[in-house]
Amino acid sequence: MSFTLKIKDKVEKREIDGDLTIKDLLDDLDLSSETMVSKKNGEIVIEEETIEDGDEIEFIQIIYGG
Amino acid sequence: MGSCTKCGNPNVIIKRKASGQALCKDCFIESIEKKVKQTIKKENFIEKGDKVLVALSGGKDSVVTLEILNSYVKRHIIELCAVTIDEGIAGYREEGVEIAKAHADRLGIPHKVVSFKESFGIDLDEIMKNENHRGSCTYCGVFRRWIINRAAREFGATKIATGHNLDDETQAILMNYLEGNTENLAKIGPKTESNSELFTVKIKPLREIPEKEIGLYALAKGLDIHLAGCPYAQESFRMEISNILNELVKEHPTIKYSTLRGFDKIRPAIRSEMAHDYEFDRCERCGEPSSNRLCRACTFLEELGK
Ligand code: SF4
Ligand SMILES: [Zn+2]
Ligand SMILES: [Zn+2]
Repeated sequence: MSFTLKIKDKVEKREIDGDLTIKDLLDDLDLSSETMVSKKNGEIVIEEETIEDGDEIEFIQIIYGG
Repeated sequence: MGSCTKCGNPNVIIKRKASGQALCKDCFIESIEKKVKQTIKKENFIEKGDKVLVALSGGKDSVVTLEILNSYVKRHIIELCAVTIDEGIAGYREEGVEIAKAHADRLGIPHKVVSFKESFGIDLDEIMKNENHRGSCTYCGVFRRWIINRAAREFGATKIATGHNLDDETQAILMNYLEGNTENLAKIGPKTESNSELFTVKIKPLREIPEKEIGLYALAKGLDIHLAGCPYAQESFRMEISNILNELVKEHPTIKYSTLRGFDKIRPAIRSEMAHDYEFDRCERCGEPSSNRLCRACTFLEELGK
């Protein structure tokens, strides 16, 4: 299974085996859910959302330091 | 995974740990607007006939402030105007200015862009080339305030609205408390209340909304916002406090609300004990109100040889 991950202008294909939620992915990437909004196939989703084959996941950083 | 607690829609965009609510996009948007309107009412932020100046950077907080206040314009309760400050940060500020302009145009709101360069003869990039500068954010704070106060008078504004959110407020409370800065602590609040006629009252319509929810609201509504980090942003005490709060909030979801609520309760006591009523006169150099011979902006400018 694979999905597309988009952060800013960076797009990459990622492989998954087994269940993966948005939260797992954020943790894996060491990104804080307090600063990110997640979209799945263009729609805003909560962190419990599971990622499925062919999904496009986008993380939008909405909080910047300073 | 649960559906919207209000309407049953299965497409939930937020789960609020603090209240246990799960909300769909429409119910979330409605809940934010309702909450901001409640704050505005509770704090008597606006009166019919007010002309409110929004300090519009193009970032999420100011864009959402403008958007929600605009509903009062539609209901013919207030007038709006907006000012965007161009500090002169190459590669960063330009996009925010464009976004701000586009929102003002879209809503038909009188708007002006004022630069540090035209106001002070120097921009932030130039200031930061100085060996012993005071740190970028110090100049931003002081110079922006100067420009906003002046713009408010030029527009004939009766109120100034800023985008301060729940995170900003709780950070300020904790920072000043932990540093023992009782003077600044006494100044925190929903409105600035100065005894000088020379200052326009400042209001913070978003002060009870968590920062993350403001970003979520902007995205849910499809509002164009400037998403970028300032190149001068650095590790600061405020950031350390912000990290601590965001760590705490994971297990204590109501902590930001309770910090603000508790502070608001003791605020009158702090104010009556701690707040000084400064005598304001005019700055000798620029004529803006100041409790000293020179206002802070002019003090900095003299240091910079301007
Ligand atoms: S982070 Fe950048 S724009 Fe913000 S106050 Fe500091 S220097 Fe100014
Ligand atoms: Zn709903
Ligand atoms: Zn001055």
